[in-house]
Amino acid sequence: MTAVYGLYPDGASAQQAVNRLRAAGVLDRDITVISAQPMEDYEFGQMDKATWMWWFACLGGLIGLSAGLGLTWLTETSWPMDVGGLPIYAWWPNTIIIFEMTMLGAIVATTLTFVLSALWPQRGRTLYDPEVTEGQILVGVEHPVDELVSELERALSAPPGARVKTR
Amino acid sequence: MPRWGMAVDLDRCNGCAACVVACHAENNISTVGADEAARGRAKHWLRIERYWEGEFPDVRLTFRPVLCQHCDNAPCEPVCPTYASHHTEDGLNAQVYNRCIGTRYCANACPYNVRFFDFFNPSWDKPLHLQLNPDVSLREAGVMEKCTFCVQRIQAAGTQASAEEREVQDGEIQPACVQSCPSKALVFGDLDDPGSRVSQLSRSPRGSKLLEDVGTRPKITYLARQSQA
Amino acid sequence: MTHPTGSRINNDLLRPLLLTSWRFYVLVAFFGAFVAAGLIAWLSQIFFGFGISGLRWPVYWGFYVTNFVFWIGISHAGTLISAILRLVNAGWRRPVTRCAEVITVFALLIGAMFPLIHLGRPWLAFWLFPYPSERLIWPNFRSPLVWDFFAINTYLTGSILFLFLPMIPDFAVVRDRATGLRRRVYRVLALGWRGTPKQWHRLETAMQIMAIAIIPVAVSVHTIVSFDFSMAPVPMWNTTIFGPYFVAGAIFSGIAGLLIAMAALRKFLHLEEYLHPVHFENLGKLLLVMALLWGYFVFNERLVTYYGNGPAEMAVFRQTQWQSFAPLHWTMVFLNFVLPLTLMGIRKFRTIAGCVIASIGVIVGMWLERFLIIVPALGHKYLPYSYGTYRPEPVEIVITIASFAAMSLLYVLFAKFIPIISIWELKAGEHPPAPDLVPPATEEHRLGDLRL
Repeated sequence: MTAVYGLYPDGASAQQAVNRLRAAGVLDRDITVISAQPMEDYEFGQMDKATWMWWFACLGGLIGLSAGLGLTWLTETSWPMDVGGLPIYAWWPNTIIIFEMTMLGAIVATTLTFVLSALWPQRGRTLYDPEVTEGQILVGVEHPVDELVSELERALSAPPGARVKTR
Repeated sequence: MPRWGMAVDLDRCNGCAACVVACHAENNISTVGADEAARGRAKHWLRIERYWEGEFPDVRLTFRPVLCQHCDNAPCEPVCPTYASHHTEDGLNAQVYNRCIGTRYCANACPYNVRFFDFFNPSWDKPLHLQLNPDVSLREAGVMEKCTFCVQRIQAAGTQASAEEREVQDGEIQPACVQSCPSKALVFGDLDDPGSRVSQLSRSPRGSKLLEDVGTRPKITYLARQSQA
Repeated sequence: MTHPTGSRINNDLLRPLLLTSWRFYVLVAFFGAFVAAGLIAWLSQIFFGFGISGLRWPVYWGFYVTNFVFWIGISHAGTLISAILRLVNAGWRRPVTRCAEVITVFALLIGAMFPLIHLGRPWLAFWLFPYPSERLIWPNFRSPLVWDFFAINTYLTGSILFLFLPMIPDFAVVRDRATGLRRRVYRVLALGWRGTPKQWHRLETAMQIMAIAIIPVAVSVHTIVSFDFSMAPVPMWNTTIFGPYFVAGAIFSGIAGLLIAMAALRKFLHLEEYLHPVHFENLGKLLLVMALLWGYFVFNERLVTYYGNGPAEMAVFRQTQWQSFAPLHWTMVFLNFVLPLTLMGIRKFRTIAGCVIASIGVIVGMWLERFLIIVPALGHKYLPYSYGTYRPEPVEIVITIASFAAMSLLYVLFAKFIPIISIWELKAGEHPPAPDLVPPATEEHRLGDLRL
């Protein structure tokens, strides 16, 4: 047995299923919810909301800024070239390079954080049902302890419209 | 370090264009032929601008040889992405053909329109192909080229002088245009040497710079015309 | 505004992917032929030399740079508008964002081609790239063209990611719906998307950060494109107004491009139930605002030049206002100001057809605007002896047409392989409000979106 889960037609019954699983003693981090769209109007849709992504974006921006500064500073001072009477290290024009590198760093860092935190495969977290695409909401528990399966099935089948499956 | 510059006496220039021919010959500037020249592809590093003043029949003809002004604040230099256009230590506005990728930005930035683009690979009508100057590299299609103040002659004179353990004398270096000018309208030399002829002429009250108000600080001084002829 | 729901959305929006009509092949062949002609034209320009173009001393920039600025301008349709609409959480944005963002990516790709096409030695274009080379020299970071390289690089990277991230859940939909090879391809593209709350939150947070980051980048990109001109001491170029003027013009032409694309999608993919007249009306109002802004900038630029009465500037000014470029100039004013003001300002005309007519006018007008910025100024620069003019040769015209065909071709292909309207965002917009019996999301949860 790798998973026991229910499919629910709407957010309200999915919310009931989540509440009953909690009542049955399942921790939030063990509950798997899958939907075809963000369900932020429901409480269960708010799980795992906290993220460090903003800080990683800032960090990426900082790295990009340093890269831009280093690139312009090192190359222009190592190969000093006089062009049109501008200073060898001209701040105003180089600000543009530094700005673009900063933003690039932030964008890349955001994407990396997203990929690593949301898409990177987690061991044992593979539960999925193609019916989700058609609007069903999946609530389930992966790798349940065998003794608890029947209790979980009871909890999952209680909300209206539930269809409980095991895998 | 010298600071090379030029003085052009407009009183002496009679518009004969010997300098233009000499420049073409010295610097291996390809002749593009009549058709291409009519399409605006002629490359005269040095050109004689001809202006008519007054109303017929009371007209006056004036000439102005225009070549790269080797500006101290050259607008063509900072815009080049590859440093093909940059400033040398002796004040020349250098163009490194091998670095040039042909954005043509320098030509746009130049207020004097003295930079030229090679639209095709160079070719010469016979027998001009037999008189190429071995001291000057040929430019392939797609690069910008312009007056160098005959940098090959400046280098050669400097090498000769250092071999003979002496300084380069005033008047020793003559770019092709200066050498060929029959009326001696062009004077070339070191602007940092207060005794040189060119710096004496540059300080003349007749002197002015071309498009001085653009702020490019050109190194060519034009001596205003005084005669009424 | 009502939309179909649930499976209906899937069916409608996946139909173009799963069913192919003969019209698709005809369109691809039609646009592909033009693109092929453009490629041949470019290759012949490389082979025979740049001389086969119409460029001449002293007008060294012509159609290619016009196209470059034009397409970079068009690219401001998508990511910028979509990012702003996302940040202000405009509900009507949902069917619009993706078809807008796609325009950005493709217009940027096409626009970024033009500096290469325009190079004298395009095979050396990589010298703009900052890398330690055996030539012992780096790019000149003081050159506006290098700024262009960095700005477009950042903007393109950001736009592609901004487009791609919200496509991942839709790839998962296709994966679940399709069979065979298609299923395997979309399985890879979906990157293991399941749809857990964590994934949705991360996606939405990522999109918010990207939206915040991409707006200043988009503004900077077109400002830097304007710097290509305003950094040079050329009469009528060297002016501080060019930055905002170009940004406004870019958004203006971008909205016009978006309206045309939306009208075409609506008609050919039968998306009448998704792209409503209200979308066109809203974007039409935006077009009206930008037309007014454009007129304001042009008036500023012109009046200041006229009053300053500098001899060099006035030489260019007269050319555009009364002399050889006047017909083009006044056509531009009509197409960019009078026409959109009439069509978009009067409610009766603010229909889909009215929007499309105004947009086509704006596209042509904005192309002319860039041409009229570049060519008259270069042709009348200071010394009257060096005045010149410019006339495009066939190679430039073919490549210009090919760029429009390339845009259409890429758009057709994209709409064929990827749902052109974001499925999950549409679904997220339509789900009903939470019933009372469920513990509702607290105010804190809702505001969580904006938490730093």
